[in-house]
Amino acid sequence: MAAIFRPSANYWAALTLLGMAAICLSGIGWLWFWPRTDYARHVRWLVSQPVPFSHAHHVAGLGIDCRFCHSSVEVSSNAGLPPTYTCMTCHSQIWTNADLLAPVRQSLADDKPIVWNRINDLPDYVFFNHAIHITKGVGCSSCHGEVDAMPLSYKAKTLTMQFCLDCHRDPGPNLRPKDQIYNTEWRRTAETPSPEMLMTEYHIGGRNLTDCSICHR
Amino acid sequence: MSSLSHQWRSLEQLAEDPDFVTRAVQEFPGLAEALASPHDRRRALKLMAAAITMAGLGGCDWAPEGTLISAVRAPSNIVPGLPNFYASANVLDGYATGVVVKHQMGRPIKVEGNPRHPASLGATDVFAQAQLLDFYDPDRAWAITVHGSPSDQSDLRTELAAQRAKIAESRGNGFRILTGAITSPTLTRQLDALLAIYPEARWIQWQAISRDNVAKGAVLAYGKPVELVLKLDAADVIFAIDSDLLSSAPGHLRFARDFASRRNPTRTQKMSRVYAVEPTPTLSGSVADHRFIAGPDELHMVVMALAAGILEGSALSGPPDWVGQVIADLTANHGRALVHVGPDQPPETHALVHAINEKLGARGNTLELIAPVAYPVEQAEELADLVKDMRTGKVSTLLIMDSNPAYAAPGGLSFAAALKRVDFSLTLTVLPNETSQATTWAVPMAHPWETWSDGRAFDGTATILQPQALPLYDPVSIHTMLALFTEPAPAAALDAVQATWKTRMGEDFEQGWRHALASGVVPGTANSKSDVTLRPDAGRQTPPEPANHPLTILFRPDPHLWDGRYANNAWLQELPRPLTKLTWDNPLLVAPERAEQLKLRNGDMICLSVGDASVTAPAWIMPGQAADCVVALLGFGEQHAGTVGSGAGFDFYPLAGRAGAPSLQKVSGHVVLACTDHHNLIFDETREYVRHATLAEYNKNPQALATGKPEPHLYRWKPKGPAAWAMSVDLNACIGCNACVVACQAENNIPVVGKEEVIREREMHWLRIDRYYEGSPIDPDSYFQPVLCMHCEEAPCETVCPVGATVHDSEGINVMVYNRCIGTRFCSNNCPYKVRRFNYFAFSHEEQRPPEARNPDVTVRGRGVMEKCSFCLQRIAEARIAADRENRPVGEVRTACQAACPTQAFTFGNMADPDSEVAKRKRSLLDYALLADQNTRPRVTYEARIRNPKPPNEGNGG
Repeated sequence: MAAIFRPSANYWAALTLLGMAAICLSGIGWLWFWPRTDYARHVRWLVSQPVPFSHAHHVAGLGIDCRFCHSSVEVSSNAGLPPTYTCMTCHSQIWTNADLLAPVRQSLADDKPIVWNRINDLPDYVFFNHAIHITKGVGCSSCHGEVDAMPLSYKAKTLTMQFCLDCHRDPGPNLRPKDQIYNTEWRRTAETPSPEMLMTEYHIGGRNLTDCSICHR
Repeated sequence: MSSLSHQWRSLEQLAEDPDFVTRAVQEFPGLAEALASPHDRRRALKLMAAAITMAGLGGCDWAPEGTLISAVRAPSNIVPGLPNFYASANVLDGYATGVVVKHQMGRPIKVEGNPRHPASLGATDVFAQAQLLDFYDPDRAWAITVHGSPSDQSDLRTELAAQRAKIAESRGNGFRILTGAITSPTLTRQLDALLAIYPEARWIQWQAISRDNVAKGAVLAYGKPVELVLKLDAADVIFAIDSDLLSSAPGHLRFARDFASRRNPTRTQKMSRVYAVEPTPTLSGSVADHRFIAGPDELHMVVMALAAGILEGSALSGPPDWVGQVIADLTANHGRALVHVGPDQPPETHALVHAINEKLGARGNTLELIAPVAYPVEQAEELADLVKDMRTGKVSTLLIMDSNPAYAAPGGLSFAAALKRVDFSLTLTVLPNETSQATTWAVPMAHPWETWSDGRAFDGTATILQPQALPLYDPVSIHTMLALFTEPAPAAALDAVQATWKTRMGEDFEQGWRHALASGVVPGTANSKSDVTLRPDAGRQTPPEPANHPLTILFRPDPHLWDGRYANNAWLQELPRPLTKLTWDNPLLVAPERAEQLKLRNGDMICLSVGDASVTAPAWIMPGQAADCVVALLGFGEQHAGTVGSGAGFDFYPLAGRAGAPSLQKVSGHVVLACTDHHNLIFDETREYVRHATLAEYNKNPQALATGKPEPHLYRWKPKGPAAWAMSVDLNACIGCNACVVACQAENNIPVVGKEEVIREREMHWLRIDRYYEGSPIDPDSYFQPVLCMHCEEAPCETVCPVGATVHDSEGINVMVYNRCIGTRFCSNNCPYKVRRFNYFAFSHEEQRPPEARNPDVTVRGRGVMEKCSFCLQRIAEARIAADRENRPVGEVRTACQAACPTQAFTFGNMADPDSEVAKRKRSLLDYALLADQNTRPRVTYEARIRNPKPPNEGNGG
């Protein structure tokens, strides 16, 4: 009886096995790397909003401070989203008939809140606190990017656990002087106090910031 | 498990029941059962492959999406992310206990005690904690119904207009209002006004758990109603006769605090001595230094002998010898002694005890008499009269507010049958119940958190109840409902309450009102001392001889469901009862002697009958109960309580109020009861889990109970953080009341699992109170021990976790990282204290409560994840952030259990700070570690219990 397999079958068998191994490995690799990509984290994705609010116009153009709208950022875990009333402090005077602002006026008229689409979000088992980061010298732009250059808001950083840990392991380089916290264009310069000096100034270092219990409860 | 345990939990453990031993030595008893069922290899492989795939997919976590909803107008005082606190009160059977409700973004999420309120002093009971779940209960009445069909407000108002005309015509003849006991000044004012308009109308106050005997006893003794305010911190000797002093008497949280202040010899100058005599174990009896068991006959003799001995100095023959010792101890401590008797004893006994207390110099020292807080009436008689009138057709209009007589009226009265003779009946109730099913109209009542009202504490101090949230449905306030019977468009509840207080506060109303709302008490409203004098015949009262029956039924409220009003509250249903550790059920409690006589085991069905009524229910053997008594716990077996409570347990109200000798027979059948007594057993070489000694022994050798130095370690990791969180639990203070357990449940989003899962040992409470017995089952000593995660410095759970899901943080907390957990349960297997809980199912997701009722600062755990006490990490984190923002050391952190505890048994704080309270307590001579031989260096330690029996009877506590 003739052989069922020709000699080249050995080659194909080895190739198949190697191929299967490669598929498994690349599958695992894909599962590992894919969620960490900017794409999967929706970084720089534009999100449609009921009102195309432009941070670029309001912050860079008009010079409105972050805290005018995000008023609880210094005291609470939650930075706070401006109520319709805050929008209407100005827009009852200017652009009162703009079509773009119709949903805002409608919200006030109907006493129905505006429903915004989330841009930055953390999983429910992560408990981020804005106030402590602001107090300890972490600026808004460290996590939210250059918001003043965003005509439409988007997520600037991956906000993965790796992103958090990079800073929690070595906070110094990300700290900035007190008066620069809300400056979205701030960059470390030669005049900036050294990371070590800032760590001392903000009394950082007594606590192990990589304890699980710092962020997870 | 080889020999008899020194301290034991359940009778099966004591008897070394083979079934029990097999179960107890297994970590996961349900597992063997599951594995025993046949599975072929192919199916097993399929399941494993599926599990691995699903586990991999489950780990994937995409970028979160969702919406953010901003306010239209920012509500004043609400900062997103920061809690708000508003004072209120929890009113049970008329008496108010101050609470502070914690809000997050306007939603009530937790109840705390109000430190300024005299009945709370910062503590809460189980009911106040569980009120949160009641408020969000999806079974709440939400629509007005007529004969069960939906109706609306306008129909109701039309009907009430007709009723008003009818009642006005007859000057109220035939109009009856039935409520529970009422202390609300506003409601009392409204009722008085209504009765002035309709002089023929009658207002009946009735509650299922009666305190009639207490009120009648006071009248017998003093000629007019007075109420008691006890000062247990001033009492050196306390004699509790079938007393509810620490469990449910109005003001019991305050009493428990005062009681505990004299129980730890390292902190008090002089320990108090407590004697208790009772037919069935109570909390007061469990923590007494001498506990005596007495059935009705013997109790009668004891009371007579006590009265004779103290009032006349003569000794009676018949009663047990110990009575003489008690009399001697009481009289020797003139002005520092106190006798307290519970509401189940006859009025004459109360009168005698009043006379005894006067003779002992208690008045003005260990107790005060005040003018009555509750409107004094003879409730049982009034209800009986009402039912008679209903049956004879004399009642044409019946308004029932916040009361459930169709379920809870004594069975002998047949309330529901009489109700059919009433033309117009209306129930106002928060939760649908048997009465709202039976009346023509049923109207949803505003929950106390949805409307304005007021109430008074045991000492008379008034609290304004302010709304905590906008109404969830379209309810009617109790004040509005009552006013609708006199006027078509009554004032809102707020106006009604303000009208009351405007007259009382006078010119300072604006300021006084604001202050009352902010502080939760209206200053200066406590009742003044009464100057009544004891009637000369008070000491000559003779309690009626108990009926000469071989068996007596004791009807007692369930410690957690009370009269049945909390039957639909899953937290309270699943909270193990302080002494029996039963959940979801109320078997008849029988004494060990009787159980032996009838050859009963726990769960065997028995039939209890009185006259022509009988109830068949399982039996539960209650160590320390009088042989001639059987205890029927009320509050279970409702048919219309809602999805949680309907059909749970057995209804014993039908047996109440019936004449004749009760009888008890064993019938066929056996049920498994959800008792947690044998769950999470821990094993110690010494078999002494609760270390204890008598005061004399302690004085002789104060060091004897302390753990001593821990064993050396090969490898020792020292947490380096700025704080070292630790806890000390004072076993002298713990009265086993369970407030901590339900507070923990509320704070930490702990789900309930249901009866079936409790039977499978899957209850989720992070904190449990172990109740140990010592001695014979006939008359054991009992000891309570709260057990939570010990946060061992050398934690056995951490070394066996393959994924590092349970690790130490730098402040010494053993933290659980839910997202790392893959559910191997190795940690639980290796935990000597058995404090870890596993989510066998997605219990949290199956819970019938809205997500907004949860604590937003605590992760809601999913299926397949281990969890356990975190030392209220969210509260530590809050304090930590607040401190770091101000660059100061972390200040006080109070855990949920600690905050709720009426006796301050828990102390939590930074052990590294030598001046902290916890560090001080850990230096106590009584400080010991549970299972010290395991050398786990637990951060939770206990203060051993010292008992103070009268010296000649050392060690003979019962």
